[in-house]
Amino acid sequence: MNCNVAVMLMHDYLDDELSRDEQAELKLHIDSCVACRTRLEQLERTEALTGTMMDKRRPVMTAEQSSALTARIMDSVPFKRRRRAGFASWVRSHPAISVAAVFVLVMFSSFLAMWQQDSELTVSGSDLAQVVISGDTVTVPEGAHVKGDLVVENGKANVYGEVDGDVTVISGSLYQASTAHISGEVKQIDQALDWFWYKVSHSISSLAY
Amino acid sequence: MKSVEARLARLALKGDQRAFAELVEMYQDKLYHMAYRMLYNRQEAEDVVQEAFLRVYRNLERYDDTMKFSTWIYRIATNLCIDRLRKRKAVYSLDAESSDHEGLDGYAMIPSDDRTPESELLLSDTQRIIHQAIETLPAKYKSVMVLRYLEELSLQEIGDVLGMPVTTVKTRVHRGREFLRKKLEHKL
Repeated sequence: MNCNVAVMLMHDYLDDELSRDEQAELKLHIDSCVACRTRLEQLERTEALTGTMMDKRRPVMTAEQSSALTARIMDSVPFKRRRRAGFASWVRSHPAISVAAVFVLVMFSSFLAMWQQDSELTVSGSDLAQVVISGDTVTVPEGAHVKGDLVVENGKANVYGEVDGDVTVISGSLYQASTAHISGEVKQIDQALDWFWYKVSHSISSLAY
Repeated sequence: MKSVEARLARLALKGDQRAFAELVEMYQDKLYHMAYRMLYNRQEAEDVVQEAFLRVYRNLERYDDTMKFSTWIYRIATNLCIDRLRKRKAVYSLDAESSDHEGLDGYAMIPSDDRTPESELLLSDTQRIIHQAIETLPAKYKSVMVLRYLEELSLQEIGDVLGMPVTTVKTRVHRGREFLRKKLEHKL
């Protein structure tokens, strides 16, 4: 056995974690190696001395000191009837989160108000001359050729002809006939979140250009 | 079935002072002993124990009773001791170079106060040497060694207290033991 391995085994032995076979192996090595025998003796002595030194039965404080410490601890602990962690105290201890929460709430409610407000039909686009609007229906007739984008809000869009750009339908339905041809993107926005995103990105891009 | 400590902790959380007093009684001396072995200073050990109970009180609602209460409280106290040892080291390492005391570093130079019980005053030479060797152990070995010898905690429990895997605990026990062996080799 290598001496390094033997030293590892010695420690495991002192930790009471050596199987009987390993103990036998270790013993075999130690019988033949003076250095390791000395090492084990030193370690065993260290272990024993440290153990005695740290023995918990060796008192480190007297009874009076102990009760004085108890009194000191009980005095220092701020006992009080714990209030149930109330809303007010939570708000006081988390100012930043509270402010953010109020902000989000306000934003959200105003956004909801906006969302419900627009229930009138709105049509926008760069070329509305060929678009037929009747009631809440916006029709791109067959043979018509709309240049540019078309946005329909709160209404039905029936596309029979060609649109040379994007068609966006917000809170409405889109019908595309087989003769329809839309060269750009077709977007239908129903979800509040989509709508919100559309508004935001739209206002940002309108700022940019 | 919940442990006694977990039930006391629950009562203390509801504002029962006597329940908390009982927890103090159960653990105060154990913690003091541990802190004293770590710091070898009465005043500091008392401060650590007091601070540990304050933290226990403040964090009672966060106590997770799937963890043994003893593990939790030892963790709090051990961390406080380790912090103090580290702070000492930071102060003493500044002039560590200039110290020409053989085998003594910052730890050994901390004056241990003398208000110890009789039993500690009457140290034999051998005991004094061991005492000194233990005092010079680096904090990370010291915490492991103190928990190992003092409370006879299993390696697993020590790992839980210190938040490290058992293999690390073992390595530290081994290194700490070697450290002490080297310190004591020429003196005994």
